[in-house]
Amino acid sequence: MAQLLIRRILTSVVTLLLASFLVYFATSALPGDVAQQLLGQDATEEALAQMREDLGLEQSVWAGYAAWLGGILTGDLGTSLVSGEPVAGIIGGAFGNTLLIAVPAIVIGVALSLALGVAAAVRRGRGADTSISMISLAAMSIPEFVIATLLVLVFAIAMPVFPAVVLMGDDAGLGDLLPAVWLPVVTLVLVMAAYIIRAMRSSTIDTMATEYALTAELKGLRRRDVLLRHVVPTALLPVLPVIAINIAWLLGGVVVVETIFNYPGLGALMIDSVSTRDLPVLQAIAIVTATVYVSVNLVADLLAMLIDPRQRGTTRSRAAAPKEETA
Amino acid sequence: MSVHLSRRTLLGGSVGALGAVAAANLSGCGVQAPLSIPTAARTGTPAPGGVMRIARPAASAAETLDSASSLNAYEYLGALYNRLVRQDEDGTTVPDLAEEWDSDPTASRWTFRLRRGVRFHDGREFTAEDVVYSIRHVLDPEIGSPQADTLASMFGPEDVRAIDPLTVQFDLQAANAEFPSLLTSYHCYIIPDGSAAEIGTTGIGTGPFVLESFTPAGPGVVVANEDYFDGRPVLDRIEFYSIQDATARVNALLAGQVDLLAQTNLDHPTARVVTGTAGTTVARVENAQWYTIPMLYSSEEFSDPRVRQAMKLAYDPEAILRTALQGEGDAGWDNPVPPGMAGRLDYQREYDPERAGALLAEAGKEGFTTTLHTSAYEANLTPIATAFADQVAEAGITLRITNVSADSYYTSSWMQTPLMVSYFATGRPLDQLLNQIFRSGSGYNESLWENQQFDELLDAARADVNESTRMQKYQDAQQLIIDESPHMTPLFGDRLVGLSERVVNYREFGFEFDYLGIGLED
Repeated sequence: MAQLLIRRILTSVVTLLLASFLVYFATSALPGDVAQQLLGQDATEEALAQMREDLGLEQSVWAGYAAWLGGILTGDLGTSLVSGEPVAGIIGGAFGNTLLIAVPAIVIGVALSLALGVAAAVRRGRGADTSISMISLAAMSIPEFVIATLLVLVFAIAMPVFPAVVLMGDDAGLGDLLPAVWLPVVTLVLVMAAYIIRAMRSSTIDTMATEYALTAELKGLRRRDVLLRHVVPTALLPVLPVIAINIAWLLGGVVVVETIFNYPGLGALMIDSVSTRDLPVLQAIAIVTATVYVSVNLVADLLAMLIDPRQRGTTRSRAAAPKEETA
Repeated sequence: MSVHLSRRTLLGGSVGALGAVAAANLSGCGVQAPLSIPTAARTGTPAPGGVMRIARPAASAAETLDSASSLNAYEYLGALYNRLVRQDEDGTTVPDLAEEWDSDPTASRWTFRLRRGVRFHDGREFTAEDVVYSIRHVLDPEIGSPQADTLASMFGPEDVRAIDPLTVQFDLQAANAEFPSLLTSYHCYIIPDGSAAEIGTTGIGTGPFVLESFTPAGPGVVVANEDYFDGRPVLDRIEFYSIQDATARVNALLAGQVDLLAQTNLDHPTARVVTGTAGTTVARVENAQWYTIPMLYSSEEFSDPRVRQAMKLAYDPEAILRTALQGEGDAGWDNPVPPGMAGRLDYQREYDPERAGALLAEAGKEGFTTTLHTSAYEANLTPIATAFADQVAEAGITLRITNVSADSYYTSSWMQTPLMVSYFATGRPLDQLLNQIFRSGSGYNESLWENQQFDELLDAARADVNESTRMQKYQDAQQLIIDESPHMTPLFGDRLVGLSERVVNYREFGFEFDYLGIGLED
């Protein structure tokens, strides 16, 4: 078990290293002149040359990569080319704001989707199932910017209950953000729900058809107990990766949704850094996002092992350590 | 009681509104409400006081209140500062901090007499030293001001002097009878003597509003300057908010979170939605966008003057105006001086696709084919490119349209590809416009045109102190641009500005915004 854990974590580290390599070299290869972007179209040639020197744009890519990686390991993400502030602070603030919409979206979205998925499976083929499937399919097919625009149209313009955008930008305090998080949260829930509902529904149906579920039912257990104690835990397994991907997607900053609501999160920060060629910020966001993806998937895998003894078994046989059985 | 909604009304209505909002930047094909867009801003008597909220796209996270910088936070400048002189609606130079000015008979020594009793927001008295300091600040190579080249070509830092506390003198190295107009630039706002290091954040000027707070790429507030020399502004406060995404800016307006969208040219479907929504409307800045199609003078394709002439004769700017801009603007007929500006040459070149074809045949370029570059950098560039290609097809010219990434359009295509669609904001004074965009070797000469006769005309105009003969020379220069330059001006486009119906007396033209008179109705 410990060996498996270590191996799994090592794989994650290698994945992250690979990601950092790709991120650094891809951003370095971006077309466009950073100095020109920073100084604007009207900048003079001398000012541009000075800027390039100040930014260290003339050094080799490999030296740059080594220095950058070293910085990350020591917790120094560099300073923004545009604002001159430490990148760690900028990203920290934006990530916090993203959490403010991602966490409610995850909690509400996952709970709701799992419940709806099970409900649809139980009422398979009946009206409730059909409506849940159809609605979730529809929500899945509509791009998030349309859903967001619709919500703004209804709840910010026609019935002004919520603000359409966050006005204060990075200066926004909790008081500014709290009324503004709900439309983004609803948008995100609608967008991600469909995948989880559908995965949960089919997984539950499959599990209900297994012999042990049937046996439990034939033994006279209440339907509810069969479902909650025997079917759902097993049915969750194949859904975990789907949930993990959705959570990672949310935590990585949801670019489109944040842009539409002028929400000062990680996604909006990413768009800004792309357009201003703020490479240190861009690279840091990419690496933060990669870390989130890798760790969320790691957690999902570990969780799966926890729920399902079979997943522990496959590698244990190779490890040939039967005494771990008691662990 | 049941409410009956016809299914068609319901669907049609919602799809129309939605489609159009989505079309704002998603190129959706929404059903458009049959509305006409208002032609002028509302005027009226504003309620005294009031807070106006303006949404703006930030220049950059490094934007500054230093007007000399290329990254200045443009919308704040006119509220916080004054210049020596400004422009009025027809491009004439009128007093701002300078009350009057004149030159010696050769137009090379200029004397400006300043307004008395003006104070900066921190209480300091405004004097000639501040003017000298501010102008030298613009010339400072460290600042890299976009206006530096234009000014430095005429005088150095030592050539501007304070004669007495209320008189400033410029000694130009070459005569220029239009010199004052070059000081109307929005990079030439006057700041207190010695304030360069902190002006980017303090915003201390003499203007109608005083800075309360400012966050680069974030929110900021200015409040009325009770002691403004030209009377207190109508508004108590202006709150500026940065919203980068154009759709989000429009949503903020429709939801009533802001009152005005600065530097935002609404596309036509969006302008209709804004007009049709209760509480919001549209005003326009006439001919605010100057669309150009430069043919590269040095390119192999356009080295033959007959080819260049054929390109011009082959298209009808009126047709492009109708298809690309739905008529919201004016046809340019290849004259770069916007209609309504004093000194514009009143001349309309011919439109003759047949002769264009004949000229091409004569030049041995029958069936002339080349690539036309365009980009999403500005919303109207591609519609103009398409309409232009359609037009010249009649003369047997084939243009393959290539869409270039907006990120690198002005760094890798501009002044490098033989044919592209480009644009500028109008608002440059006549002399600066002709010198900056058309003189041989100028950094903005986007067609790389070189014409000695033209350059000499501009020099002669600058040296001519007689108003009417000088204007004649500027008009001859325009004629030369139309007849011989490789530069085309198909049209000028209006900027459609979204604003709340409560806003009255919104006035904006060129780089001038009337912060003093704008107000809100109750």
